[in-house]
Order: sequence, then structure tokens, then C-alpha cells
Amino acid sequence: MTETAMSRADMMTSRVEARSKAVRRLAGGDALFRNLTFAAAIIVLLILGGTIGSLIQGSLPAFKAFGFGFFVTDVWNPSDDKFGAGAAIYGTIVTSFIAMLIAVPVGLGIAIFLTELCPPALRRPIGVAIELLAGIPSIIYGVWGLFVFAPFLQQYVQPGLIAAFANVPGLNALFAGPPFGIGVLTASLILAIMVLPFVTSISRDVFNTVPPMLKESAYGVGCTTWEVVSSIVIPYTRVGVIGGCMLALGRALGETMAVTFVIGNAHDISASILAPGTTISATIANEFTEADGVLYTSSLIALGLILFMITFVVLAFARLMLMRLEGKAGK
Amino acid sequence: MDMASSNLQAEAAGAALRDKIVVKSLDFYYAPGGAKALKSVSLPLKLGKVTAFIGPSGCGKSTLLRVLNRMYDLYPGQHAEGEVLMDGENLLDPSLDLNLLRSRVGMVFQKPTPFPMSIYDNIAFGVRLYEKLPKSEMDGRVEQALKKAALWNEVKDKLKSSGLGLSGGQQQRLCIARSVAIRPEVILFDEPTSALDPIATAKIEELIDELSGDYTLAIVTHSMQQAARVSDFTAFMYLGEMIEFDDTKKVFTTPRDKRTQDYITGRFG
Repeated sequence: MTETAMSRADMMTSRVEARSKAVRRLAGGDALFRNLTFAAAIIVLLILGGTIGSLIQGSLPAFKAFGFGFFVTDVWNPSDDKFGAGAAIYGTIVTSFIAMLIAVPVGLGIAIFLTELCPPALRRPIGVAIELLAGIPSIIYGVWGLFVFAPFLQQYVQPGLIAAFANVPGLNALFAGPPFGIGVLTASLILAIMVLPFVTSISRDVFNTVPPMLKESAYGVGCTTWEVVSSIVIPYTRVGVIGGCMLALGRALGETMAVTFVIGNAHDISASILAPGTTISATIANEFTEADGVLYTSSLIALGLILFMITFVVLAFARLMLMRLEGKAGK
Repeated sequence: MDMASSNLQAEAAGAALRDKIVVKSLDFYYAPGGAKALKSVSLPLKLGKVTAFIGPSGCGKSTLLRVLNRMYDLYPGQHAEGEVLMDGENLLDPSLDLNLLRSRVGMVFQKPTPFPMSIYDNIAFGVRLYEKLPKSEMDGRVEQALKKAALWNEVKDKLKSSGLGLSGGQQQRLCIARSVAIRPEVILFDEPTSALDPIATAKIEELIDELSGDYTLAIVTHSMQQAARVSDFTAFMYLGEMIEFDDTKKVFTTPRDKRTQDYITGRFG
């Protein structure tokens, strides 16, 4: 009796010893693993810091030469070495703004249709089609925009817009000038089509997170589908919806290829959205090969830095808004 | 009194009471051509009384409840046949205004489902769907509903804060207040205490007791003690069929059917 008890105790101790040996052996491996993953995390910060650093360094000559005026003037004259980012900044913001103005309501509408109203048989085909839209390379939108969409707008849409608003004060300036086909409005429309899938698929995914019981209880007090969507589904998911819209805005701000094709690439700030313009990324893409002088190169890099800052501010603003919303919902 | 002849037992039980809702040979399908989830169910809900539905999981008691406010209509393919008469009007009529029906037949769910808005708006939201009230009157309505749901004293100082910040039991009472505020005639409770602790459960049961009389109540529950405590009538369902409907006392003391007896003595379920 006592012998077996003893031997069992011995066995236990020997097992514990074996395990603690193994643990000691692995301790070195653990430290290595921790350091490796830590290094990987640090590399991300280094790359980010390096990018910002080289952008700042590269853009210094331009900022020194033009000062604050670089941000606000729309002169872009490589032969005289005079550069101002005003037109590009303006074009970037205006095209993205118009694109969001169109894509957010349409995208939310599609998402609401898909989650609340669509017959189940159509749900998958439409959803897949939207996702395919997101997968089309931007160069294809550019080619299609230049050869198909812009001539179509020039022939059928823009003359109508110009005529319709010709006598409306304010709007006549917005829709003025000859119908070029290419221009700020065309670029905005292409951008809207490009970011639509982001808005739609993210909103659809977050709408699907609303508990069915919550929707049923809203129907249970007698709500119509519209009331359920506007008072329950959207407030419940607003954080996710805003996040999705900001992602889409980020894409619109940085989109290069499609915009370059259809915006006209003119360094002008004009009141009419039918006029040609340019964006930061379109300018860089168009001109980096021909930038020979120091100041020209530096100005393009400075444009890159400005785009970086704009996207950074947009994302930071989105974060701030989400935090405030979350704080409100929590109390 | 308008009664199905197959419902003699029910007629004997409380014949003196008025029927608020009469269910007549109701069949229910979750999918077209699928199996019957309810098989020719008939029973009355007595005006101002509490009727409990008991039975093992999947017996169709929640399904029956969801027919009474046509909640199943949200899901294409689900389909009911038979008659459900409320004050003589057939609730299964396809041309019936569902939003109006749901204001007359309120529902409280298994889990508390406060809307993502303030406590005040949780109540006022439903009221605004039907009535345009001046602020002072709306304040009165909200207070009255919260008092009815025994929640007023706990929330009167924080009406503007989110309904999501309340405890589970308070949230469920908020949901009851929300139903009450719309002034329904019938309130359906689908396992209203299954997500609550015993103290919160006791409060909800007390509330159900107080609401009976003013409203016709139906409650689905898995707890036989709860059914015995809160209800005037009990319906025992099994595999989609109504096995027994009678006075709660009679069902629990002298059940007629062997299956009822087996269930309430815990032999299956």
C-alpha cells in the first residue's frame, strides 16, 4: 500500500521535473519569438516614419521657394519654375466630395434594399455583382470613362445641364461653359461608381449585424420598413456605416488612374464643375516622368505630402467622430 | 358565444368570460409545402385574463404567438391557414393593416430589446407612430407607461440617457412600458424572463399580474411554476398540437391528458 503510494508520488515529481526542464528549454525560444514579433511591429512604424521623413525632406525646396502660397495658388508653370498646389488640392477635395455625395445615398439605398427588401433569390446575385464592381482595376474605369462615358455625357447630359441651370443664379456658375465631356463632374461620377461597392458592401455587412429580434420588436410596435430602417437599423449601425464611408472617401481621395483619364489635367480652379481640373494624384502620375528641375520634383513630392496629410486628417476626423458616437451610445 | 364545437373543454372553462381572440383550426407552415408547425390549433384568449402556453421546445407555442400579431409575415414563405378572430375580425385577412394590428397586439421578446435611443424616446417612439402629441402630453404618456411597468422610480432622473445602459431586468420592463404606451388590447410575452435573474423575473411576473384585467395577455414560458403563478388559463402544446386547454388550476392539478400529466410532472420535456 504505502509502496504504491510512494511510487505514485515519485512518478508525479519526475513528471513535474520533466515538464519544468522543458519549460526552461523553451524559455529562450519564447524570448526569441517575442523579439521577432516586436521587431515586425517596429518595422511598420519605421516605414511610416521613413515615408513621412523623406516626403518632408523632398518637399522642403518647394516650400522654401513658395512658402504658404504653395497651398493656395493655382499657378503651375514648369517652364518658369512656378508651382502652386491650389488647383490640385481643390480638385481632389471637390471630386471626392461630389463622389461621396452620390455614392453614400445610393450605396446605403442598395444596402437597405439587399438586407431588408430584396427577395432572397435576388440577394446573392446582386451582392456578388456589387463585389465584382469593386474588383475591376481602376485603369478599366479610366478607359471606359474616356472613350464611352465622357462622350456620352458630352453629347446627352452636359448640354441639358447647362441649359437647365442657365437661368438659376448660383447653379448657372456651377454648370457653366462648353460641354467638354471630360472634367471635374465626369471624374466625380467615375469616382462615385468606384467607391459605391465599398459603401454598399460595408453597410450591408453592418446592417446584417442588427439582431433580428430588435427589428422584430420595432415591427412589433407597428413600424413600417422605412421606420425600422431609419430609426433602428441606421442608428444601431451608424458607427460601422460611417467607418465604411470614410474608407470609401480614403479611396476616392487617393484614386489616380481613372481620374487622370477623365479630369482633363488642367491646373485651374474654376467655379464650373463641367470644366477640366486636376487632382493631386493625377498631377503626380502625369508629370513625374518629365519633372527634371529640382523645384519641379520637389513640388510633386510636396503634393504627395499634402495628399498624405489630407487622408491622415480625414481618418483622424473619422476616428474622433466614431469615438464621440460610441461615447454617446454607451451612456 | 361563438365557439368551435371541438372546443368543448374550453367552453366549460370560464364560459362566463368574453373571448378577446379565438383561434380556430389554425395550421402553420414555415415553408411552402413544408411540414405543419401547428396542426389545427383551436383555443380562445379570454378578455382581461392571462393565458400561458407551455410545452417542450419546438412544440409550436412561440409560433402560435407569432401568428397572433402576424410577425411571421416578415419572412416570405411562412404561412398560416385557419382563422384567428379578434373581436370577430379575422387577423389572417391578407388585406389587414399590419402596422395597425401590431399597435393593438403588442409583443415582449425573449431578450430585452431596447431601441438604440434614450429611455424617454424608447417609449415616445412608438406613441409618435400613431399620435401627434404636444410635449407635455407626451411627457405624461411616458411617465404613465413607465409607472405601469414599475420602472418610473428607477429611471425618472435619467430619462435622457440611453436605454441600453439599464440592467437586463430594467430593459425588459422598459420594453413592457413601450408596449403599454401604445395602448394595445393584447400583449404577447415570448419567454419574457428567460434572460433574467430570479429577482428581475419576480418583478416581471408581478407586473404581468397587475396588467391583467386591463389587457388580455398571453405568455409563452418554459417554467411551469411561472405558468402556474401568473396565468388564469393554461394551454399545453405538444408537437404542434393543442393537447389541453383549461383553467390553470385544473391543468396543473387534474390534467385530462396523459401527455400533459407527463410533462407537468417532468417525465419528458
